Amino acid sequence: MSELIIKNAAVCDPINGINCEKMDLAVKDGKIVENVSSGADVIDAGGRLTMAGAIDGHTHCAGKINLGRLMSPHDMRMNPVPGLSGLQEPTPYTRAQSGYNTPNTFALGYRYSKLGYTTLSEAAISMLSARHTHEEFESIPILDKWGLTLFGNNWHVMNYVRDEQPEKLAAYIAWGLKASRGFGVKVVNPGGGEAWGWGKNVTSLDDVVADFDVTPRQILMGLAEANEALRLPHSIHVHCNNLGKPGNYETTLETMKLMEGVKTTRDRQALHLAHLQFHSYGGNSWREFESATPQITDYINGADHLTFDMGQVIFGPAMTMTADGPLEYSNARMLHAKWSNKDVELEDGAGVVPIEYSPKSFVNAVQWAIGLELALMVEDPWKVMFTTDSPNGGSFVNYPEAFALLMSAKKRQQIIESLPNLAVDRMVLPGIDRELDFYELAVMTRGIQSKMFSMNNIGHLGVGADADIAVYDIIPDQIDPGTEHEKLKKAFSATSCTIKSGNVVVRDGEIVATPAGRTYWVNASGCVSNDVNEAAMKDIKNNFRRYYTVGIANYMVEDEYLPHPVEITTEVN
Amino acid sequence: MQTVTLTLREKNRIPIEADTISPDNFAGLSERDIEQIPLCLGNTQVFLGDIFEVVADGSDSAENVRIEINGDLSRIKRIGQRMSAGEIVINGNVDMHCGCSMTGGKITINGHADNWVGCEMKGGEITVNGNAKYYVGSGYRGESNGMSGGRIVVNGDVLDYLGEHMCGGEIVVTGNAGLLPGLSNNGGTIVIGGNTTMAAGEMKKGMIVIKGNLEEMLPIYREDGTEEFEGQTYRKFTGDVNVKGKGTLLVK
Repeated sequence: MSELIIKNAAVCDPINGINCEKMDLAVKDGKIVENVSSGADVIDAGGRLTMAGAIDGHTHCAGKINLGRLMSPHDMRMNPVPGLSGLQEPTPYTRAQSGYNTPNTFALGYRYSKLGYTTLSEAAISMLSARHTHEEFESIPILDKWGLTLFGNNWHVMNYVRDEQPEKLAAYIAWGLKASRGFGVKVVNPGGGEAWGWGKNVTSLDDVVADFDVTPRQILMGLAEANEALRLPHSIHVHCNNLGKPGNYETTLETMKLMEGVKTTRDRQALHLAHLQFHSYGGNSWREFESATPQITDYINGADHLTFDMGQVIFGPAMTMTADGPLEYSNARMLHAKWSNKDVELEDGAGVVPIEYSPKSFVNAVQWAIGLELALMVEDPWKVMFTTDSPNGGSFVNYPEAFALLMSAKKRQQIIESLPNLAVDRMVLPGIDRELDFYELAVMTRGIQSKMFSMNNIGHLGVGADADIAVYDIIPDQIDPGTEHEKLKKAFSATSCTIKSGNVVVRDGEIVATPAGRTYWVNASGCVSNDVNEAAMKDIKNNFRRYYTVGIANYMVEDEYLPHPVEITTEVN
Repeated sequence: MQTVTLTLREKNRIPIEADTISPDNFAGLSERDIEQIPLCLGNTQVFLGDIFEVVADGSDSAENVRIEINGDLSRIKRIGQRMSAGEIVINGNVDMHCGCSMTGGKITINGHADNWVGCEMKGGEITVNGNAKYYVGSGYRGESNGMSGGRIVVNGDVLDYLGEHMCGGEIVVTGNAGLLPGLSNNGGTIVIGGNTTMAAGEMKKGMIVIKGNLEEMLPIYREDGTEEFEGQTYRKFTGDVNVKGKGTLLVK
């Protein structure tokens, strides 16, 4: 394979402690190497900001997003972010693109690449629909992908938790990851999804799930311990109970405290909290709605067992999609919006509702502030992952806007001045003058992902790492992010150059190649003993016979669905 | 004043997308320039001069441009899309999306129109001296806002879903309308001269008048006395009560 050298790059690589230092990057066979021969292709970065390819650790890019596409044909025509949304004609390298919140699969690949992203973590695979999710993965060009498999409302899980059979639970999870070719354990509104099957929900960690006689607290603990027993590369990835409800910060705090007791078996967090913005609300009603960021961040600043992602809200149209069925029902009722609901047999549910975040709405304005507050009030950037929970809080094409907000107190102040007074009284953002620098931004978009998913080959530019590289049209010491908002946003919206596994895929903001991406999955069967596995398989097969609409053989995701697989195995030490 | 006369050379079987035919695009252009305007014929690009004989006279700004099109345009779509001023007169039938998203000016169709006439239009006027098909003045798929301003007059019959998701403006149909006219009306006015059925479901605001026979009345309205409209007395209904609507439905 060819060799490549990027000269005069201002490298910002937090994993290796490099902060905007001028250096050359050598690439050979898709990996970063010490040096290359004199015949290597040369790219002159001209002192531009150079980072590892970014990783979106929580996005909805395959699976449920398709339900969003079906529900919103008008999204195809939406074009609020020219160049990264709307209808775009094919080019010699790209296929036709359309949409904004729910773009077509090709547009997902191209647009993320233009932003300098090279890896996506799909936030929720439901096992029964996993085959389709992998088909969608395969049609997203360029990017590497993995998906987190839903376990929080699964009948097998709840049965094993109630019967206190942690070994069988771990065996089931290992089997489930293989069945769905998933990467980790996602928990959405534990217990609530099952209760929704009966038109109910759970409202605290200690509500009992009907028919299963377990509580969200037990489900969370059971899954966390199984996750550690299987030595999975990622911790449990939790969407807490009571998402989007005023006063829900107490449930969030309880969930965080609950996980203090979990002993990790790998060098990473014990808990990842998804889209924390939606879980940091104070007040007892919508009228009293306020930011509870201080309570949440006080705790996080003193804790070292968790990470979270922001779930930043972007003003404008968005599309909420989650496995939290009851939440989407209340969204649809409150907003008089279209509603789609799905029940996935023994496993989970899903809902999709379009939404519009308006700066005139005091609730939306406070939500917008909470995301930024969380990122700015948590002192250690190594606990904060940047996301908008795309497209729940807003489409990923708005990331540059949010990056620029994190880096400019002045710009934030300008927006705050245009918000309703009531909203400004309910947020703490106006008092925060912290501005992130490029290094901290690189932590939130690359570094933390590499650590929290235990993916040592990506998210950094050290020797041996995958050559996923983004060069932005910014010379770090010639820009003041605090005042040059538009310039910064423009540079983050289209890279000078994005390199994926050593191939140049974006040049001057245009796609120039579309190689296929890989799909990572985790095989944890090495951490399950044969006896336990056999016993668990007996239960699983029994449940398939009694309850499932498909046979077990038609359920497993087969090898053909992953033409570009990367299998990660875990084993007992 | 600038007048442009387009005469169809030969009737096309493969559909043409002609969103470039509008006074805004023609303003100030010579005959030769107009002939060079691109059109889509199926999946290939052609020029206006290949399809039409072009005769142009004068040169002026969009509001003083009058385009007259002769021939059977029943496979030519999107004429007058997004136009903001001026006038188009079509002597013949026309295909889908005529005058969609227009913001001003006037289109007269002396023939029949197809589906989606004046969809999502914001201003201006469309007169169809013939029949129109489905979704006159509606919103496109998934959209919650259809026609929001302007006026559409159909001197003939229309088919189903007249003015779906309308939120402003006025539609007058002198003939009959098909199923479910005025669905999800949110502020528009619709007057139907002839018969129709199942009118005004999910209406929140606005007014729908049915001068002919309403064959089937949706059971979602509260009767509210009578009201005069153009010198005639109608039974007045308010609803749709299911969506807490305050729209007015006038029925004979």
